[in-house]
Amino acid sequence: MSLTALWRQLRYGLGGLLRRQAREQDVADEVAQYFEEAEAEWRERGLSAEEARRAARREGGSMAVARERASEYGWENGVTVFLDDLKFAARQLWKHKAFTVTAVLTLALGIGANTAIFTVVERVLLSPLPYNNADRLMLLKTYRSQLGRAIPRMTGPDAEDVRQQARSLEAVSLYSGGNLGIQLRDHATFTVVTMADANFAKVFALRPIAGRLYADADAKHAALVSERFARDNFGGAQAAVGQVLGVEGEPLEIVGVVGDGFDYPNGTQVWTAAPSVPESRSRTAFNYKAVALLREDAGLEGAETEFKTISQRLQATYAKENKGKEMVLQPLKEALTGDSRATLMFLWAAAGLILLIACVNVMHLQLVRSMERQRELAIRRALGSSRWRVMQPVFLESVLVALIGGAAGVLLAFPTVRVLVAMAPKELPRTSEIHLNGWVLGFALALSVMTAVVAAMVPAMRAAKVDPAEALKSDSSRGMVRKSAGLLRDGLVVAEVAATFVLAVGAGLLLRTMMTLNATDMGYETRQMLVVDADAPATKEADALRAVGTFNQLFADLKELPGVERVAGVMGLPTGGYGSNGYYEAHGGLPLDREHAPWANFTVASPGYFGAMGIPLKKGRDFAAEDTHESQMVAVISESAAKQSFGDADPVGKQIRCGLDSDKWMTVIGVVGDVRQDSPAERPGPALYMPMTQHPFYANQIHVVLRTAVKPLSLMTAVDARIAQVNPLIARRYTTMDAMVDKSVATERFRAALISLFAGVGRLLAMLGVYGTVSYAVAQRRFEFGVRMAFGAERGTILRSVLGHASRMACVGIVLGVALSVTLARMVQSMLVGVRPWDPVSLGMVAMLLLLTALTAALAPGWSATRVDPMVALRAE
Amino acid sequence: MFASMTDANTTDANTDVIQGTLDMLILKTLSLRPLHGFGIARRVEQISGGVFKVNPGSLLTAMQRLERAGWLDSEWRQTENSRKAKFYTLTAEGRKQLTVETADWERRAGAIARLLEMEG
Repeated sequence: MSLTALWRQLRYGLGGLLRRQAREQDVADEVAQYFEEAEAEWRERGLSAEEARRAARREGGSMAVARERASEYGWENGVTVFLDDLKFAARQLWKHKAFTVTAVLTLALGIGANTAIFTVVERVLLSPLPYNNADRLMLLKTYRSQLGRAIPRMTGPDAEDVRQQARSLEAVSLYSGGNLGIQLRDHATFTVVTMADANFAKVFALRPIAGRLYADADAKHAALVSERFARDNFGGAQAAVGQVLGVEGEPLEIVGVVGDGFDYPNGTQVWTAAPSVPESRSRTAFNYKAVALLREDAGLEGAETEFKTISQRLQATYAKENKGKEMVLQPLKEALTGDSRATLMFLWAAAGLILLIACVNVMHLQLVRSMERQRELAIRRALGSSRWRVMQPVFLESVLVALIGGAAGVLLAFPTVRVLVAMAPKELPRTSEIHLNGWVLGFALALSVMTAVVAAMVPAMRAAKVDPAEALKSDSSRGMVRKSAGLLRDGLVVAEVAATFVLAVGAGLLLRTMMTLNATDMGYETRQMLVVDADAPATKEADALRAVGTFNQLFADLKELPGVERVAGVMGLPTGGYGSNGYYEAHGGLPLDREHAPWANFTVASPGYFGAMGIPLKKGRDFAAEDTHESQMVAVISESAAKQSFGDADPVGKQIRCGLDSDKWMTVIGVVGDVRQDSPAERPGPALYMPMTQHPFYANQIHVVLRTAVKPLSLMTAVDARIAQVNPLIARRYTTMDAMVDKSVATERFRAALISLFAGVGRLLAMLGVYGTVSYAVAQRRFEFGVRMAFGAERGTILRSVLGHASRMACVGIVLGVALSVTLARMVQSMLVGVRPWDPVSLGMVAMLLLLTALTAALAPGWSATRVDPMVALRAE
Repeated sequence: MFASMTDANTTDANTDVIQGTLDMLILKTLSLRPLHGFGIARRVEQISGGVFKVNPGSLLTAMQRLERAGWLDSEWRQTENSRKAKFYTLTAEGRKQLTVETADWERRAGAIARLLEMEG
């Protein structure tokens, strides 16, 4: 068809749609005129008016038929018919409000949950990173055969070699950093600071919105800040350029401002210029993170091969340091989102189950409705409607319900996403980017349509298969129902119960994990403890020592505050931001295992730290004022470190050393209890404690811990005033130990909360499903119950038969659910602490709960069955 | 095939052939002068000596189709006996289409004639 012809079709068709009445009138006029002319002609031939009219009819047929045929022409009529059917479907839905509301709400829950989770998945896992050249950004990692895995870090010299030798990379940038105190002219603030070399801007193709980028020559003198940081601290981007800020005591000039879209890594606000040649020359100190930009013409595979070659070359050259070390690269997006993938996929699967349950419920509702319509449909078939014509209204109704449900679901997803983002643990990357967008809406629409098709499939097919003779014979109100109909509905409920069971078991396992974590003994007392992140500026050793002195004075001052019981300082607080760990050496202990060098967390603390934290001193003594920078180096070790290195021998008086900042031997002066360092999910492990005075470089950026007699945060103002009085340039931030521990299990809580919510929704829907099926069955058997009661059946017998039906369905569902849960258990194994994936307690409790739920749902219809009045039931026909 | 054409009551049985032919007959009729629906029907009947009887429903549907195809124009105007009627006029495109269809028809009719002769 040519374009003009197509256009003509469109024009006529649209004209017909828009001026439907005018078009119909035109056709009617033409038909009338046709017959008028015919009559006129017959009259001319000499017939009377009446005879002429009859002759015209005889010749041309009925005017109505002609009008009908002439106005059926055109594609727009298909549209009209469709709209009429739609109107009919809408009217039907309006008439069956209970059905419509239940179905729409059910779907809204299912689609809303899925849309919300998909919004997060789409942003976090699917969409490209919001950086330039996003698909060519790579994170460089070091695979270590000793650990059996790759760590996301590099040593300085290795990274430099890679930079010089890898032809597949356009640029390689080394960076390091974290939460640091920043000294501004009149105050100090905490923010995320990244020390990055000049290549950083090349890798990310940064363009400053004010000022310029820093170059190699600017190393240690220049900084870039984010637009937000500039706005908050200087009033605007332009105003920030040329200002000076202090990081770790070094004055840096702000040379440029980066637009708000960029905050890599981890929400960095300040980037400071680091030299291109890494300062750390050790091939065993993994001090840097490295990002690289892949050359446009180089593929990931080519780069991987090249990395293998380089790694082998380095292993050959540095046989000792690079033993078992292999440089690898990973797309940055994968590196950023890898950890959250499992959690998100798990939640997505759970949301999928919810949708499945919702679908089953709606299918079930549709089925019941189509059975009620069976006579209507049978009559239509008997009158000669095609199968498709009979299925069409069933489908249309379903599509309509699904679309309304989908729209409601999307509305529901808006607040849900906001709650999700607010609840999300800080480990969930890219949360600030999360919002509903076109993809998500498309997903919701596709989901709705799919749901509609799935939910309508069985009912529509049944409608089409209706055998008029058979259907008109089986009278549902008399309890003469075909067996297969009941079986199908029961099957749906069983599927629903099974899916709910899986969700509920997941929820049970994760909740028990949470309970285990909450009840875990951390090895220290978390209650009544105020934590201050304090960062004192220091560059030279003298500054650092002075800072330690200041802190020691501060601890004494703070202890004087009413409500404060004990005060101490620490670098390496459990669940805290700072900390260090590594290998250590023991003198005079157990023979050394060359392959498994002893490893421990390193903590630097002030005297009184163990007392303030409630970590029990098992042997020897605590640090004291006598342990100064000049005196003999000392250390306190944890019980498992003692066991690991000295076995049953008394470690006090023995010598150890570690690579924290000096290789001097330290005398062990005491043994303390083990603590869980990073989170309650972790095992208590070996730890070395060293005094702040002897490690000043690790003592200017500390946590001050205050054991309080009152609510910790109520002391905040007083403490803050006291610290500001001592030195206003100490950057400080407040939290409590409870909050920190709480945050360390945020991921676990997030998972547990969401899956519990899903399980709750699933249970509600399953309850609806059971209720619907049983009450429908009761309604259909009303006549039968009437007869039985008339012949003297007990009410109890009738109630038992109804409840028996419900519990049979529930039991089959539960058995299926157990089988499914055990199969799927391995999926969640890594997320569990203190509970096995096939935990019989969880399985048993969930089974009981679901059985009770089913019985509760069946109770109301069961009760109504016993209220059947035989006379009324028998007279009903 | 041809037999069904003569029986106006069974047009439904073989619509495609009828339609194709009906289109050609309408175009041919209108190539002489503009006419309204009834006029076309009457003319087709008269000239075919009553072999073709045209049913108003089929005719008016065909008129709409031809008009949408761009072969006809329509306009309401006065008849000789001063009644309003919808008159159809052949367009230039319609005239071209008539030649095409006529040629096509003659080719097919010739082929059928030859087949029948061969059998006879």
